[in-house]
Amino acid sequence: MQTEEVIRTAGLSKIYRSGPVEVQALRGVDFSARSGEFIVILGPSGSGKSTFLNILGGLDSPSSGQIRFRDHDLTALDEAGLTRYRRDHVGFVFQFYNLMPSLTALENVALVTEIARAPMPPAEALELVGLGPRRDHFPAQLSGGEQQRVAIARAIAKRPDLLLCDEPTGALDSTTGVLVLEALSAVNRATGATTLVITHNAAIREIADRFVRFADGRIVEEQANAQRKRPSEVSW
Amino acid sequence: MVISALHRKLGRDLRRLWAQALAIALVLASGVATLVLGQGAVASLSDTRAQYYAQNRFADVFAEVTRAPRAILGEIEAIEGVLAAEARIVRLGRPDLPEMAEPGALLVVSLPGEGRPGGGLNLLHLRQGRLPDPLAEHEVAISADFAAAHRLRPGTSFDVVLNGRRHAVTVTGIALSPEFIYALAPGEMMPDPARFGILWMPRAPLEAAFDMKGAFSSVAVRLAPGAAQTRVIAALDRILAPYGGTGATGREDQTSHAFLDAELQQLRAMVQVLPPIFLLVAAMLVHTVLSRLIALEREQIGLLKALGYGRREIAAHYLGFVAVIALIGIALGFAAGAWLGAGLARLYAQFFSFPFLVFSRDPQVYALAGLITLAAALGGAVKAVRSVIALPPAVAMAPPAPPVYRRLSGWGAGPPLRQSSRMVWRHLAHWPGRTAGSCLGVVMAVAILVAAFWSEGSIAAMISATFQRAERQDAQLSFVADAAPAALHAARALPGVLVAEPFRAAPVRISNGPRAKRLAITGRPATAQLSRVLAPDLRPMPMPEDGLILSEALAEALALRPGDLATVDFLDGRRLTRQIRVSGISLGYVGLGAAMEIGALDRAMGDGPRLSGVDLALDPAQMPAFFTAVKATPELGALSLKARTLTRFRATLAQNITVMTSVFATLAGIIAVGVVYNFARIALSEQGRELASLRVLGFTRAEVAGVLFAELAVVVACAQPLGWLIGHGIGRAMAAAFSSDLYRVPFVMGREVYATASLIVCGAAFLSALAIRGRLNRLDLIGVLKTRE
Repeated sequence: MQTEEVIRTAGLSKIYRSGPVEVQALRGVDFSARSGEFIVILGPSGSGKSTFLNILGGLDSPSSGQIRFRDHDLTALDEAGLTRYRRDHVGFVFQFYNLMPSLTALENVALVTEIARAPMPPAEALELVGLGPRRDHFPAQLSGGEQQRVAIARAIAKRPDLLLCDEPTGALDSTTGVLVLEALSAVNRATGATTLVITHNAAIREIADRFVRFADGRIVEEQANAQRKRPSEVSW
Repeated sequence: MVISALHRKLGRDLRRLWAQALAIALVLASGVATLVLGQGAVASLSDTRAQYYAQNRFADVFAEVTRAPRAILGEIEAIEGVLAAEARIVRLGRPDLPEMAEPGALLVVSLPGEGRPGGGLNLLHLRQGRLPDPLAEHEVAISADFAAAHRLRPGTSFDVVLNGRRHAVTVTGIALSPEFIYALAPGEMMPDPARFGILWMPRAPLEAAFDMKGAFSSVAVRLAPGAAQTRVIAALDRILAPYGGTGATGREDQTSHAFLDAELQQLRAMVQVLPPIFLLVAAMLVHTVLSRLIALEREQIGLLKALGYGRREIAAHYLGFVAVIALIGIALGFAAGAWLGAGLARLYAQFFSFPFLVFSRDPQVYALAGLITLAAALGGAVKAVRSVIALPPAVAMAPPAPPVYRRLSGWGAGPPLRQSSRMVWRHLAHWPGRTAGSCLGVVMAVAILVAAFWSEGSIAAMISATFQRAERQDAQLSFVADAAPAALHAARALPGVLVAEPFRAAPVRISNGPRAKRLAITGRPATAQLSRVLAPDLRPMPMPEDGLILSEALAEALALRPGDLATVDFLDGRRLTRQIRVSGISLGYVGLGAAMEIGALDRAMGDGPRLSGVDLALDPAQMPAFFTAVKATPELGALSLKARTLTRFRATLAQNITVMTSVFATLAGIIAVGVVYNFARIALSEQGRELASLRVLGFTRAEVAGVLFAELAVVVACAQPLGWLIGHGIGRAMAAAFSSDLYRVPFVMGREVYATASLIVCGAAFLSALAIRGRLNRLDLIGVLKTRE
């Protein structure tokens, strides 16, 4: 079944300028993702994958090229428009979790549901990642994996169209990493959010519907998996 | 080179943190400046006065007589301890200047040092022209303020009414005298140079006008160094008693000197109370701010250690950073303090008609201010550097472990708040010490502002009590000499007079054991309506049938309470000594006061009913006619107008207290801005990562700013009540330090003072928030995702 296209980029380029020095982070990236797709993005450091994800998430703007979210041209949005876009449509999961240390797990999720249009109850989001019993713990009282799962619950509680994860297992050991990927995989299925996961670990590509490989600011490889594996089935 | 690289880092750190560094330096500068400026102004004025007195041979002891022969001058000069004595004729005259609608007065004084080349006391300082020729009967010198008020110049001629007779005079010189630095007309509360001046003229025409041939009415005495003033006064009183002497006084009771002393005391009070508080507040803030600023440098310190820098080098680097800021602050404070101090001294010098101004700088004050400031700054830094340096490099390079929050026991889930508000709440509660420290900074900013504005309400209360409740007359006529009761009828008959009430002023010495004060007892009708004595609760006090009412200040000075017997030596008339019972205590803000029912006073003095003057209520429509009549009847004496006194009172306060207050308030304002801005900046540094994360999660700029500003707002709001309380305490201390024999300053602090102080601090917080807003908008959203907390 062909689902709706959620995001599309065409000729996306990004040049960072620092005085006379220019760094071309992206060189004409064409990409699209459909609703509910689980996509893994691979590539070495400096290949442009994080820049790409940041632009998709409305944290950065391209130097040239087009980026469309459904019917909207993201390049035409100003700062306030991009904030609105992030608030309503994008969930983020980061390598270092970025939780608020002063709020409990449940409150960290509620932080986002309070400003979202049609969120799920925070407790339900925590149940989805298997952290219901830990809801009243502060981040400092949780393990790294648990913190990352709170971050995932926070990201999906708003029912985002796009779930963007930048190295979500980068700071975790493999066992915990699997748990986090299981959680991501489960919420992708449960919520239908288009999920993009950046990783250094090529083995992870097997859990995705599709993977793209970045090198030198371009997509150099793109391949669909006939079958998505469970994270626990992948050998790390 | 190791050192130069660190030096370069120091320079660049300063450039990076220039706004914060400048705010800290300004706070320090304000603290230093208040100390330096106040001390500078007081020292300059004291030294100027001392030098002026010495150069112009200002006398130490003064005495008035009705009429004494010049022959006894030798006897006075022979008193042990007397270095020089000068017999003068001092009388009131009336200027007849066409532009003077309201009648004024001139104190006419015989020229000092006449007939004694190189001698004389209370020598004149010529501003313009020359001294009158002792042989030229019409030549006069005139006091500079009066001359300026009436545009009199050398060569100007006008008429003076002396003892009822018109006398044409020509001004040869414009002069100042150490005896009349503060020139107060009889019966007046405030100097009024437009209506009162000093005229110096040769002795001969004065002898003729006042029937004083070979006689004098006033004597000034200069003491030998180390002479016992009390013994000289006693000897002088014995010599002068037969000639109507009312008792000699030392400088401390000489009007001009006493008022000047009171002013200096007020200035000194401001200088002693406020600046140390300012300096301490500045030091405390800098201590807190710098220690937090250095704690934020933790990663860099770890990196320097990892690169092989020694603890000492790193400590020296950060102490250098702090020392540079402190030295900039100290230098700015010295410059601003010296400049403002000189300006303030110049203002006072002008007000007091000093002929010159000696600028005094006390190196000790500068050294003290500098050292306290440097020590506070370095102290703050040492504490922070030491705690960071103690960490192993690897630990220091990593950010501090995230704080472990816990629910506050007893709070349950806490108040029903939005999560962002809960973050604010938990931040504040998690670091109670830090929150209290920030609060205390703002508390002190509020407190010093309240303290700086303390005088407004007090002055308003003084004016209301003195000029609206106590002294309700439009004018007061002080007769040239005490008159018979018929004078009251004459006054009532003047055009425009609606009500006239008599008073009698009797010079006395009131004592209680060894405590004694010289002043005048005022006798008033039992239920006077125009000039009333007020009880401490501001209600008018009826005059008792007999018995004495003392002002609070006098009762305190003499340790007398209602029911006690006071010994009253009358220095006039039959010079009787009486024991009079104290029947009440009254309120009095200016001067020492004692009052009796006028009939009781007459009985106590034993010389029958006499009047010293009348208080008048006037018909405003008939003022010109009233003035004309008074001018035409010189024997009526000096006229004091309440409206003018009040105007002068306000103007004088505006010039002195208000200027000082504005300076302090400005400096307090700078401290407030410096405090709040630094707290906001540090809070931003500490919470930058969380705030950027919120932006990434879709919070708008305004919502993120709200989180930071709410924290600032809570701190600022919580600080207000304590700030008011401490400011109230400082204000009370200032009012107490301001009080002297001449002024008793009530302590009244209106709500508007607290409101103003809070408004300034809230304004400073708002401006700081605006300044921070730009930085908040530029938060690095991407960088925050790549760094571990």
